[in-house]
Amino acid sequence: MALDQAFSSGSEDFPGLLRRKGLLNSAPSTVTSHAPAALHQTESTTILAFKFKDGVLVAGDRRATSGNTVVYDRADKVLEIDRHSIMAIAGVPATAWEMARVLEHSFQYFRRTQLQEMSVDGKVRALSKLLRDNLGFVMQGVGVVVPIFATYDNGVNPSARLYFYDAMGAQFEAADYCATGSGSPAVRGILYYNDRWSGKALRDLDEREAVAVALRALDTAAETDTATGGVDRKARIFPVIKTVSREGIRTLPEESIAEIFHKSVA
Amino acid sequence: MIEEPYRWVEAVANRREYIEAQLASGSPIAAVSCGDGILFVTLGRARQKVFEIYDRIAMGAIGHPGDIERLRMAAIELASTEGFARSAADVSLRRLAHYSLSPVMKAAFEQVYGPPYLARLLFAEVGATPETDFYLRLEYDGAISTNGSNRGGTIETFAALCATAHSTKMMETFLCEAHRPEASLEEAISVAVDAWSVGHMTLKEDSNREMPDAGAIAKYRQDQLATVGIEAAILERNSGVPMRYRSLSDDEVRAVVQV
Repeated sequence: MALDQAFSSGSEDFPGLLRRKGLLNSAPSTVTSHAPAALHQTESTTILAFKFKDGVLVAGDRRATSGNTVVYDRADKVLEIDRHSIMAIAGVPATAWEMARVLEHSFQYFRRTQLQEMSVDGKVRALSKLLRDNLGFVMQGVGVVVPIFATYDNGVNPSARLYFYDAMGAQFEAADYCATGSGSPAVRGILYYNDRWSGKALRDLDEREAVAVALRALDTAAETDTATGGVDRKARIFPVIKTVSREGIRTLPEESIAEIFHKSVA
Repeated sequence: MIEEPYRWVEAVANRREYIEAQLASGSPIAAVSCGDGILFVTLGRARQKVFEIYDRIAMGAIGHPGDIERLRMAAIELASTEGFARSAADVSLRRLAHYSLSPVMKAAFEQVYGPPYLARLLFAEVGATPETDFYLRLEYDGAISTNGSNRGGTIETFAALCATAHSTKMMETFLCEAHRPEASLEEAISVAVDAWSVGHMTLKEDSNREMPDAGAIAKYRQDQLATVGIEAAILERNSGVPMRYRSLSDDEVRAVVQV
């Protein structure tokens, strides 16, 4: 821990500081013209998020794949970034988890140096910037990450906020729901149907009902998408489900997910 | 003038005198351990004096705001990059102070043509129990003192930061008598405000060199609380999240000390 005499006085952001210290690799700036070879394999997962009565629910399956091989069946793709923010990741795990780590430290670093919490817009933008900085790797076909970011804005107008991104860093605010990953087409259909014609819009669901919808959606995705892990009843592996509300983040305990699963899905 | 050794010693002595004079008006900071965590208390809210450095580390400071800011920023940068590159468990106050901050402050102090850091810092790192809490005071010349075995081998579960050596000693003597690590948060707040009063009362050079009695402390404390704001923060021992620092509002603290 040598003290750098040229420390920054807080004028640079955390990724900038990491680069100066040689702790974060810059993506190659030369963009190759040919299309990346394995792009279709790199978003193999299903994550979804939607707004319900208390805030936002974020859910993700547990499967990690490489080509046709299941590499890991207990991957956690729904990550807590701070007390009110969740990032859910679809894409290359190495890049995605590193990105989540940078983001987490960025928010802490900002609060500690600037003596105030980063605004929701600032947080959303910080993730966008990380994705953009990663573009060089994306173009080489080795680092695609397509995340969802859910947070609760405790500012002047308290409200749940939900964003999804494309691999280049464009951010889209979702009004009701969003899903990314290879299993997402099926999930989007289900969420749309639920919101529109089930008789109860997503935003009116209580936590129990919301968890049931999320489990059904993931179960459907796993039915047709080999890269999405469903519920493994033998090994008792269930999806990760977290909610963000005014009070903060709540991770649904496995027992209650199992109980709702047996009642509403299986 | 510094070609001759004794001139250099003289220059350093002058500089010490100058810095002490600059620091003399700083409001004391008391830090005490209790079951809930480490509590920092000071009076006067003209500018913030207690800061979060990392998950389990906080800092209190008196001195020039510009210098405090540079040291604070350096400490946060070091802790953040270390915590990112390795893990939060690898960020230690001992390493931060001994290997990084102290040498820089010593060098700045002794290079008599350059500006020294006009700051005196008190760091605390919260442990699993009050006995494993770590306090470290860093002087403008890089000197370090900690809460390890200063008084007959026992670990102190408190620390004080004050503008003069005399009032620091008074605060420490008071805390040694009045503070118990098994105290509740409310008791700890009250003792810390009393300790601040002792430190503030004994700041002036012409003030009484003796320890003020309990009645005088209570009266002084009441007079001060009527006119000045309270700044307080806690490093929580068991908060359930990695980030332990939480600042306490004036109302929160006042509710405890004004009943």
